[in-house]
Amino acid sequence: MSLLQINNLNVRFGDANAVPVVDGLDLVVDAGEILAIVGESGSGKSVTMMALMGLIDAPGRITADALNFDGTDMLKLSGRQRRKVVGKDIAMVFQDPMTALNPSYTVGFQIEEVLRQHLGLKGKAARQRALELLKKVEIPAAESRLDAYPHQLSGGMSQRVAIAMAIAGEPKLLIADEPTTALDVTIQAQIMELLVNLQKERNMALILITHDLAVVAETARRVCVMYAGQAVEVGQVPELFDVPAHPYSEALLAAIPEHSIGAERLATLPGIVPGRYDRPVGCLLSPRCPYVQDNCRNQRPSLDPKAHSLVRCFYPLNQEVA
Amino acid sequence: MTSPIAKPVAPASPVDHSLLYPSPYKEFWQAFARNKGAVMGLAFMCLVVFCALFAPWVAPHDPSEQYRDFLLTPPVWLEGGTWQFILGTDELGRDLLSRLIQGARLSLLIGLSSVVMSLIPGILLGLLAGFFPQILGPSIMRLMDVMLALPSLLLAVAIVAILGPGLINTVIAIAIVSLPSYVRLTRAAVMGELNRDYVTAARLAGAGLPRLMFVTVLPNCMAPLIVQATLSFSSAILDAAALGFLGLGVQPPTPEWGTMLASARDYIERAWWVVSLPGITILLSVLAINLMGDGLRDALDPKLKNAA
Amino acid sequence: MAVVLSARALTRHYQVSRGLFKGHALVQALNGVSFELEAGKTLAVVGESGCGKSTLARALTLIEEPSSGSLQIAGTEVTGASKAERKQLRRDVQMVFQSPYASLNPRQKIGDQLAEPLLINTSLSKAERREKVQKMMEQVGLRPEHYQRYPHMFSGGQRQRIALARAMMLQPKVLVADEPTSALDVSIQAQVLNLFMDLQKEFNTAYVFISHNLAVVRHVADQVLVMYLGRPAEMGPKADIYEKPLHPYTQALLSATPAIHPDPLKPKIRIVGELPNPLNPPDGCAFHKRCPYATERCAKEVPALRQVSTRQVACHYAEQFL
Repeated sequence: MSLLQINNLNVRFGDANAVPVVDGLDLVVDAGEILAIVGESGSGKSVTMMALMGLIDAPGRITADALNFDGTDMLKLSGRQRRKVVGKDIAMVFQDPMTALNPSYTVGFQIEEVLRQHLGLKGKAARQRALELLKKVEIPAAESRLDAYPHQLSGGMSQRVAIAMAIAGEPKLLIADEPTTALDVTIQAQIMELLVNLQKERNMALILITHDLAVVAETARRVCVMYAGQAVEVGQVPELFDVPAHPYSEALLAAIPEHSIGAERLATLPGIVPGRYDRPVGCLLSPRCPYVQDNCRNQRPSLDPKAHSLVRCFYPLNQEVA
Repeated sequence: MTSPIAKPVAPASPVDHSLLYPSPYKEFWQAFARNKGAVMGLAFMCLVVFCALFAPWVAPHDPSEQYRDFLLTPPVWLEGGTWQFILGTDELGRDLLSRLIQGARLSLLIGLSSVVMSLIPGILLGLLAGFFPQILGPSIMRLMDVMLALPSLLLAVAIVAILGPGLINTVIAIAIVSLPSYVRLTRAAVMGELNRDYVTAARLAGAGLPRLMFVTVLPNCMAPLIVQATLSFSSAILDAAALGFLGLGVQPPTPEWGTMLASARDYIERAWWVVSLPGITILLSVLAINLMGDGLRDALDPKLKNAA
Repeated sequence: MAVVLSARALTRHYQVSRGLFKGHALVQALNGVSFELEAGKTLAVVGESGCGKSTLARALTLIEEPSSGSLQIAGTEVTGASKAERKQLRRDVQMVFQSPYASLNPRQKIGDQLAEPLLINTSLSKAERREKVQKMMEQVGLRPEHYQRYPHMFSGGQRQRIALARAMMLQPKVLVADEPTSALDVSIQAQVLNLFMDLQKEFNTAYVFISHNLAVVRHVADQVLVMYLGRPAEMGPKADIYEKPLHPYTQALLSATPAIHPDPLKPKIRIVGELPNPLNPPDGCAFHKRCPYATERCAKEVPALRQVSTRQVACHYAEQFL
């Protein structure tokens, strides 16, 4: 049985007729695997995870056929039951480490808070464990850092502290939402290496949300590409980048400067992601797709298994390539 | 390897989001109208403005005409009341309703002129304090601190005591008393905006100081100032009422709501309506303006404006 | 090709007060940067936070005066320029900022914002200004109706186009672009970069392109300047630097940048530690504490920028990488 199973997740802000921010998403994550969710702004990737964690407040409404984590139905949990799971078995690391930590409390206090809440540790035992965690995330001079305030730490350090807080509860699933976007390149490499090592060591499932395809290529095993709230392709990592089946995956890859070394111009898709006012009746990519046919504009394709991956397209690409 | 994007098969041109947005005025009105309290406040104030503008025609009687036979007549719904004087008469037989309507003129005038008289110098001083934070800024702020250290009503009383009672001096006193809050607000907003990239971009385009101050930065500071102005309006009415109550503001027989309260002090037990009705009018006006101010603040808050 | 921008030993120091009882500390934000830039070419400035690229941007755009060194724009020396010369210098160098959300005045119509540089610096009539604005709007892909609109009605990519249009209104000789696409999605980034290159060809503007994204830099740059803690580490033609970086920091940067098709044969250079505190820079080479090849000499002697093969490198042992 998979660790995480999401079937037909819909998130809307407003009434039942409002445009869905997440539209019929299906996702499966097994224990110990690394899944990357890739998409641009407006794709719904962060909202999906927030919905899972129960962080969506009214007027957001969540509906799903199934939202199961480790056998528990997340939809049926009360607030108190959910608080037992979230932060302990499911943990999240956010994009901006500077704002993810409470500026009024020391680093040690914040880690100990997690330990107190989820593992019942107190006093000296908690402090000892917090110190171990800081050492685990490779913070130099960990002893003195326990009493430091977040503003005294650099971006990279703060993100390490955030990761320490996330793994404090020994989670089965760690969700990292753009964990390195706000960091410098060399620090980014360090943090990604840290995450992957921690994941291997503890056999945690890791969901990596990012818009950076290169990070995905180096880290993840499976990737889910999202566009305008839908999953458009789900596949294995080297294969999806070598032979993308969905036109949007192909366009994303083509737009990366790496793919146009020596070329004068970068390949682009015209237009932008559909917003509130102009959601197409048919396939959501149809206004911009270079391979669009007539029926694409009228019908919505479903996510079906094809040659290498699950694809949401009537005319997927690269199907003949073995 | 991926194939490059093929020449498009004429995809339907994507809709331009920016053209789907309503105009800024419509957007503002939609945001404002969502707040029911604010709309009610606006409706009440429109009524007051209407009365003020058309007082001579709306008022059933002349506010200063004394009906000797009808001293202290109760309002129409009480025993002894008559439809001739819907809200009753005061101790000199003058129709209360007409006096209240006429009084709206004065209250609005006091509110408006005191706000304008303190807003303009307040914005100027705030801009200067924000743009010159080395020496000029702290000097201005210390001066404002001194003014703020004195209780506002006492300060107003002192000013009126020096200048003498009367309408214009009341307005001047209230304007001086509300000056520091505008200066502080403007300065805080200016300092927040000065670090933004668009100000740097304007500097790079060669904008001189006046242009930077009034065209680039000031329009972005207006939201908190507009809200403060509406709130000052209501406190100006209250201050004028207080000064009038103390006998220092507008002098009788001019009908001003606060002065009406003052001259009817002795009749609280015998004829409660002479005191309470002006008081209720002040209350409702201040409440309406405050509700409007809340609605304005919510509608103008730029943090609520998102891009598509 | 004419040299439009020439910097020689450009230096900028800040006095930072450290409290009532300690003296002032000297932050050497920029320390001896020299380069020459020809019309129509792009110099990319690469580095992480604290390397001095923002300080360089402010010095180049005349927002701040350099503490020492010389800066010449189109032949005119900046320090000691007369009022009339300063006015002309103002027109010759413009800037595009990183955040598309902060660089446009929220309360001004974009048409007015585009016309503002013309209004201040030229004596064109209202109609002439409007015509020029419309022409520029068309060139950056905006429609005439957009003149009346406010910035918040546009997407991030469109705002960067507007910002670029505004910077180009006066047809400056030099354009400083400070991370112009870092805040944009990949596909939008591709559109905006294409626009940058088109406009450069049209107006023959020299670009100083500041970025931490090495893939983007590879696409746009002619020359690359790598900075570390205010000093140049390596500077040279793009192809050479990417093929065979000579400074260990450049090597680390390139190695840390994730790639879509990772080369399993290329070893990853692990860089430990963080950027040193600019208030307390290490003795000798600023990079020596993190450098895998550091020797005793590196800890004592500051390496001078010298010519090695086709470029300039500030490393004692650069030859070993040839």
